Amino acid sequence: MDNGMSSKTHNANSILLARRTVLQLRTEASRERMKVSKASADLMNYCTEHAMADPLLVGFPTSDNPFKDKKPCTIL
Amino acid sequence: MTTIAMGEMEQLRKEADNLKDQITAARKAMQDTTLQEAAASINVVGRVQLKTRKTLRGHLAKIYAMHWSTDSKLCVSASQDGKLIVWDSITTNKVNAIPLKSSWVMTCAYAPSGNLVACGGLDNMCSIYNLKGKDGNVKVMRELAAHTGYLSCCRFLSDSEIITSSGDCTCVLWDIETGTQKTIFAGHQGDCMSLAVSPDFKFFISGACDFTAKLWDIREGTCRQTFGGHESDINAIGFFPNGNAVITGSDDASCKLYDLRADQELITYQDSSIMCGVTSLAPSLSGRLLLAGYDDFNVNIWDTLKAERVGVLAGHDNRVSCIGVSSDGMACCTGSWDSFLKIWN
Repeated sequence: MDNGMSSKTHNANSILLARRTVLQLRTEASRERMKVSKASADLMNYCTEHAMADPLLVGFPTSDNPFKDKKPCTIL
Repeated sequence: MTTIAMGEMEQLRKEADNLKDQITAARKAMQDTTLQEAAASINVVGRVQLKTRKTLRGHLAKIYAMHWSTDSKLCVSASQDGKLIVWDSITTNKVNAIPLKSSWVMTCAYAPSGNLVACGGLDNMCSIYNLKGKDGNVKVMRELAAHTGYLSCCRFLSDSEIITSSGDCTCVLWDIETGTQKTIFAGHQGDCMSLAVSPDFKFFISGACDFTAKLWDIREGTCRQTFGGHESDINAIGFFPNGNAVITGSDDASCKLYDLRADQELITYQDSSIMCGVTSLAPSLSGRLLLAGYDDFNVNIWDTLKAERVGVLAGHDNRVSCIGVSSDGMACCTGSWDSFLKIWN
């Protein structure tokens, strides 16, 4: 291992990293969790509540489409 | 290593393993059902057929990124032809064509105010451009330099703060005014490829080449949750519109939805016929549809609750590299290595 670090520094870094990993895992382990049934219900409710306002899902009249092709002009 | 040091390493390794087992068990304890079961009684949405309404032509090389302005009309794209182009998506006019110092751009972003755009890539920097300068010329306002790896993604919190993700495995919150790093978010063990900010601007999520997604508290500077399960790099990430779930897209050809409050994966979007990586993703306004871009030149549209494919956008002649749904939900924009952007609805 030839990157200029002494093996003492490398080992000290490994221990620091391992300590940080353990601290992070402790934080993540201690969090509150919600039941999947409630989490799923909330997602489903959100979708239902907002469905009618989702243009890509329910569509909308062509006249309301800002991206619709303009009708070609006829020169009279 | 000394015997004492070896002893501590061994202890720490054991504790880490124990904690990982604890997390797995705690997540399992929440599994009183699955999203699949909970959604069993609802019908799959009908076939979604979107048409190309506009093609934005002008880039001369692969498009790597695009981002809508919050006005749902303007958007910015970045190409390795060395240009950032701001488009009026309705008229297809180019509002600005900004030449870049470095053509190796990988990401771009539009500030919520509409005043600024940002980009970056293999130059390891995030360059901020002022679109509303006094003399009408678009100039570099700041160059945010400190990352030791490529800039993969950037997103503005406001005109004064931006978050970046990098190939150096970190994400950074910057003060644009002073050009300094406010917070460094370290923890990923692989290149960070993508990031997304929560609807309430309090959190952001990052996807990385260590196959995990992490949720970060912007003000605390801490990682709150880590989500695994993917079998390859995560290239794309986004929030479900209510901010309570995260969707990831990976080189393993699948997308996954993780619920933040249940702290686990709820469903996977995959099909045996899809064998190429996901490059980009965007949910529709209600969250019911997931539009995902793939290496095989297509965009697949998924019913997020039923995990069934309900549509395809076929129209590009090369990889779809980026996708975005406008804030008002009226249109989806795709950008491709074929040098074109397309607007669909």
